[in-house]
Amino acid sequence: MNVCIAGAAGDGIRGAGVILGKIFCKLGYSVFVYQEYQSRIRGGHNASVVRASEREINSHGYYYDALICLRDYVFEKHVERLRGVLVCDSSFNLEHDRKVEFPITETVKKLNLPDISRNIAAISVFCKSFGIEAEVVESVIRESLGKAGERNLEVVRAVYENLDITVGQVRRVGERKELVSGAKAIAEGMLDAGLKFYYAYPMTPATPILHILAADNRCVALQPESEIAAIMMAIGSAFGGERAAVGTSGGGFALMSESISLAGMAEIPVLIILAQRSGPSTGMATFTAQQDLYFALNPAHGEFPLIVASPLTIEDSYRLAGELLNLSWKFQTPAILLTEKHITESYTTAKLGGVVKKEVEIFREKSSEIFKRYEITESGVSPYASPPALVKANSNEHDEYGFATDDAEIATEMYAKRMRKEEKIAKVVANLEPYIEIKNGKDWIVTWGSNFGAVKEVAEELGFSVAAVRFMRPLFLPKISGEVFCVECNYTGLLARLLEAEGLEVKRILRWDGRPFTPEEIRREVERWAE
Amino acid sequence: MGRISWCPGCGNFAILRAFEKASQRVIKEGYDIAISSGIGCHGKISDYLNLPSFHVIHGRVPPFLTGLKLANPNLIVVGFSGDGDGLNEGVEHFVHAARRNTDITIILHNNGVFGLTTGQVTATSPKGWKSKSTPYGNPEYPINACQLMLASGATFVARVFTGEQKRMAEIFYRAMKHKGFSFVEVLQPCMSFNNFWDLRKEVFWVEKAESVYEAMRKCEDARACGIFYTEEKETYEDVVWRSMF
Repeated sequence: MNVCIAGAAGDGIRGAGVILGKIFCKLGYSVFVYQEYQSRIRGGHNASVVRASEREINSHGYYYDALICLRDYVFEKHVERLRGVLVCDSSFNLEHDRKVEFPITETVKKLNLPDISRNIAAISVFCKSFGIEAEVVESVIRESLGKAGERNLEVVRAVYENLDITVGQVRRVGERKELVSGAKAIAEGMLDAGLKFYYAYPMTPATPILHILAADNRCVALQPESEIAAIMMAIGSAFGGERAAVGTSGGGFALMSESISLAGMAEIPVLIILAQRSGPSTGMATFTAQQDLYFALNPAHGEFPLIVASPLTIEDSYRLAGELLNLSWKFQTPAILLTEKHITESYTTAKLGGVVKKEVEIFREKSSEIFKRYEITESGVSPYASPPALVKANSNEHDEYGFATDDAEIATEMYAKRMRKEEKIAKVVANLEPYIEIKNGKDWIVTWGSNFGAVKEVAEELGFSVAAVRFMRPLFLPKISGEVFCVECNYTGLLARLLEAEGLEVKRILRWDGRPFTPEEIRREVERWAE
Repeated sequence: MGRISWCPGCGNFAILRAFEKASQRVIKEGYDIAISSGIGCHGKISDYLNLPSFHVIHGRVPPFLTGLKLANPNLIVVGFSGDGDGLNEGVEHFVHAARRNTDITIILHNNGVFGLTTGQVTATSPKGWKSKSTPYGNPEYPINACQLMLASGATFVARVFTGEQKRMAEIFYRAMKHKGFSFVEVLQPCMSFNNFWDLRKEVFWVEKAESVYEAMRKCEDARACGIFYTEEKETYEDVVWRSMF
């Protein structure tokens, strides 16, 4: 079942989507919630698409089984997708053959509740007409809104008492599941891997991670003056021996570039969450994209070891966020979690667990000898130390003790020492599922990032095998043959070009309109190629 | 330690010696110090001091130290910066670090010129000054670093002159012991590109002011030296840590 809630900014559309998602979770469904909103605080058009299924899903659907309209003018934007019931205020004059109407605004006014409670009223209308018990709705509202939400329960009761239409029957299908956002999953992954400091300047779509961590006592989350300050603070904390991360989107990531190079040179671990949104420049600030793959792979001047991975699902973003923080410390070099608005700001049913902090040794003793922080080793990894240990770090090329140098011999050795880490990283990453393969047939659909959920469904239906790339650097591409499609949210086919470099012929399925793929749209595109 | 590569007669030597003296005093009292420096001639000081150090990138010393201090609140952290490093490229970090009253000490090597890149104007070069990048005279007015720091909320603001090493050492010591954001501007000549040794005759010392406004007036003359202002105020680290536990 795929339900869309649409209205204006300020109508509580996002919250309504989450609450409806939780209602389905409570009934045992696997749920995915897609949030589409504009970069404005009031008015305009926002939508939340809630999909619930008895099998595991990681995408929303294109066609709606129900459309809940909180404003009349949003109807025409969605009517093309509606294949079921329209839920709306009785005062709206909307043409549709299957309608459930209720005096939503009037009821909320009569109860003397703020306008925003119309979202709860509308959900209640949907739930009542689809046979969901009032107590399920009430308990989710209690859990989600707490004491502040108490009065909304009056709205639920008013709807359930006065509406007597049944258009469907949503049954309980199993045990209650948990709904989590991508931002929450990333935050938990980092925390489980020992995150102590998170620094971020607000930028959509990475901001929710800052909100979540700021409210969490397991780490210090701070908002400095700029993205440059954020990553420099993270480098400071890491030099101090504590795990730190930063989060941003393309524009803020650009500002971090010079400091990423510093972390590479001084061998300081730092995790950067790069949540992509539509660009170039400010682009469409609240819409998803996959345009920054090459930027993430080549983020700064000079050559240095770097680890880049991109999660396929919200659950995967938990695992990779933790994995990358651990790897960053193991190899003392920056790591980038390359993700998207469609991961960070979407919600799904997921069980988060399994990430553990992998300890590394840090020397912290005072001494009269200068610590050999950059000892030339075979693996390229040198012992780590933090003050008050007598340790010297440097943005200049340096000797084994961290003193600046331009000596040709030392530079040759030290540069090679750092770069040797890349071989070790590749060996470790090879065992971390650098890509996922699902074998269904001789032809392939290749993808990366959040498209995976939709691609997997289509591939199963049409008999394609799936290859989804998780680690981008070091990059492992699956050995594939036959007809190859590549699904991405960008204009040129950034992953497709990497596949072509391997000699493959690739048919691109691309979009760059800021909207994520649904299974229906991918199927349509695959079929179009066949024509 | 690294072999010193500053020009003979550079004011950095005096800063180095004065800081050695001050830091030894602080260490004797049982404290641990970690330092950082930016890019420019001053930045090399990290290599010349027998202390934990991180020679970072241009203008970014304050946020680096903020992160380090948060990770290890027991350290006394000191940043060295230049007029180009701290007032051109990194000026926003100075303002915000002062505003937060983060417990770090910044020592600003102010020689009024980009020395390591062979002589261009900085934010503290006088208007009209002819440098390699301003052959017709500097079209810009200089920043008064102490006034900027006072306006930003710094709780310890001082200016010293490399010609007076003893006084400099004393002020460095007090700046390090001050709880909160402390800022020391050091007037220094650049022997190669901006030699203003005449300042030795021109600098004058003033007493500490009672209010920020009075301090602003006292440091208005770029040749006035002394501790202009101190204030006890809750530090950033204290606020952050208290909100956590």
